[in-house]
Amino acid sequence: MISLRKNKSEYLAPISEQPAVVVENVTKVFRIPHERKYTVYQHLIGLLRGGDYTYEQFHALQDISFSVKRGETFGIIGPNGCGKSTLLKIIAGVLYPDAGAVKTNGRVAPFLELGVGFQPDLTAKENVFLYGAIMGLTRKEIGERYEEIMEFAELKRFESMKLKNFSSGMYVRLAFSTSIQNNPDIMLVDEVLSVGDEAFQRKCSEKIAEIQKKGTTILLVSHALDTVRQLCNRSMLLSGGKVAMLGETSQVVDEYLRMVGQQHELR
Amino acid sequence: MWIYDYRELIHILTISDLRVKYQNSILGFAWSLLNPLLMMLVLYAVFSSVFQITQKQFAFYLLTGIIGWRFLANGSTAAMSAIVGKSSLVTKIYIPRQVLVLSTVLSCFICFILEFIVLSLLLLLFGINFSMDAVLIPAVFIVYLGMVYGLGLILGALYVYYRDLNQIWDVILQIGFFVSPIIYPISRIPAAYYPYYMLNPMTAMIQIFRGILLDNQLPTVPAMATIIVAAAVLLKAGSMVFKRLERRFAEEI
Repeated sequence: MISLRKNKSEYLAPISEQPAVVVENVTKVFRIPHERKYTVYQHLIGLLRGGDYTYEQFHALQDISFSVKRGETFGIIGPNGCGKSTLLKIIAGVLYPDAGAVKTNGRVAPFLELGVGFQPDLTAKENVFLYGAIMGLTRKEIGERYEEIMEFAELKRFESMKLKNFSSGMYVRLAFSTSIQNNPDIMLVDEVLSVGDEAFQRKCSEKIAEIQKKGTTILLVSHALDTVRQLCNRSMLLSGGKVAMLGETSQVVDEYLRMVGQQHELR
Repeated sequence: MWIYDYRELIHILTISDLRVKYQNSILGFAWSLLNPLLMMLVLYAVFSSVFQITQKQFAFYLLTGIIGWRFLANGSTAAMSAIVGKSSLVTKIYIPRQVLVLSTVLSCFICFILEFIVLSLLLLLFGINFSMDAVLIPAVFIVYLGMVYGLGLILGALYVYYRDLNQIWDVILQIGFFVSPIIYPISRIPAAYYPYYMLNPMTAMIQIFRGILLDNQLPTVPAMATIIVAAAVLLKAGSMVFKRLERRFAEEI
C-alpha cells in the first residue's frame, strides 16, 4: 500500500487499467448475544449457571459484489440500516468481512468521521501532523502539505492554539482540509461533505470537483440524493444488506425513491 | 513492515503520550521519580529496622529492584488500555492496531530509561562505580522491551473483550512484586522452592540489573537465557493472540 504511493509513476501504468476497488461476495454477520458479557466475572458466573451463550445473527451484508473503476465516483444509497456504513468500514479495513474479499489498489483514505484521532490537548499544527501520520505519511510529506492545509482551512493564524479552544466550525474546517489534502488514491466518504458555512461549503464542492478531475476514486455514502446525482457516475442501492440495484446514478436514485414511495403507501 | 511504514505515527503517539504523562514539564518527570524514591524510603525503613535485613547497600538494592520492576508494571498496565483508550483510531480508520500498543509501551520504556539514568547518576554520586559490563545494559533493555511489548499485545487484545482484566492484572502484578527478589535477597528463598523461584523471568531480569549496577558482575548465561526465552515466547504468543482477536476489535470496543 505504501510503496504504491512512493513509486506512483512506476506503478501508474499497469494499475490504471485495474479497478480501484473490487468487492467480491462480501458477507458480514454481526453477532447479537442475548446476554452480553463484558467481563471475566460475567463469563465465570455464566459458566456456573449453565450459561446462556446463544446469540442472534444479524446479516448486515449478504453476498455483495461490485467493482469501482479508477477515477470513478461511486454512490452508495439506501435506507437507514441497510449496511452502507458497514460496507464502507469493510472497504476501509476497520471491519473484517466474514466471507468474501475486498481488494483496493492504491492508498485508501476513509472519511467515516471528521477529525479522527484529533487530540484536544494538542495544537492545530500538531494535530495536522498527527492526522498525516495516521494516514501513513512521513513527517516530510506532511510538512510539504502543511501550508496548503492551513490556507484552505483559513486557520493559519490559529496554528499554535490548542484544539480544545477551537470553535466547532473551526474544528470541522481544520479536520476537513487536513483529510482532503492527503492526496489519497481512493476516498471513502460517509456523509461528511457538508461542513462549515456557505462559503466554506462552496470551497469544498470546488475542491471535490478538483479531486475528481485529478482521477481520485471516490466512494460516497449519502442520504443527500441531489449530491449523489450531481457527483456520482454510477451508484448502488442497498436494501436489507443486499444489492437491490446497481447502475447509472439517475436510474438507481429513481428506483430508491420508488421503493421508498411504495413503502410509504403500504403504511 | 508496519513498524517502518507507520514510524511517524509511532513517534508522534509516543511523544504525545509522554507529554500527557509529564504535563509538558521537566518537573513532571521529577514528580514521577518521586514515586520509586518514596517507595524505596518506606521499604528501607520498614525492612532495615523491623525485619533487620542486612543486605549490603540495601537502599540501592531496593531502588534497583523497584525501578527494574516498574517498567513491567507500568508498561503492561498502560498497554492494556492502549486499544480501548484510543477507540476512535480503531473504529473510524484503519491503522495497524499494534501501533497503539507499541507506542504506549515505548513511552513507558523511555520513562524507564530516564529513571535508570537517574539511578546510575545516584550510584555514581555515592561512589559505586560500574565497570565495562554496563555496555550490556542496552541489550538487556531491548530484551526487556520485547517482553513487555509481547505481554502488552496479549493484555491489550484481551482487555477489549474482558473489561475487568485490569482488576485481575493488578492482583497478578501484586503477587509478581512479592515473588520477585525486589524487597528481599534471593538467599532468603528456601532451597526447596529455589528451582521454581528461578523460573520467574523477572527474577533473572532484576538479578542482571543488580549484578551490573551494584556488584560489577556479568550476567550469567542461565539468567540471560531465561529472559531471552521469556521475551521470545511472549512476543510470539502476543502476536498470535493479537492477530486472532484483532478481527473483531471494531465491533467489540
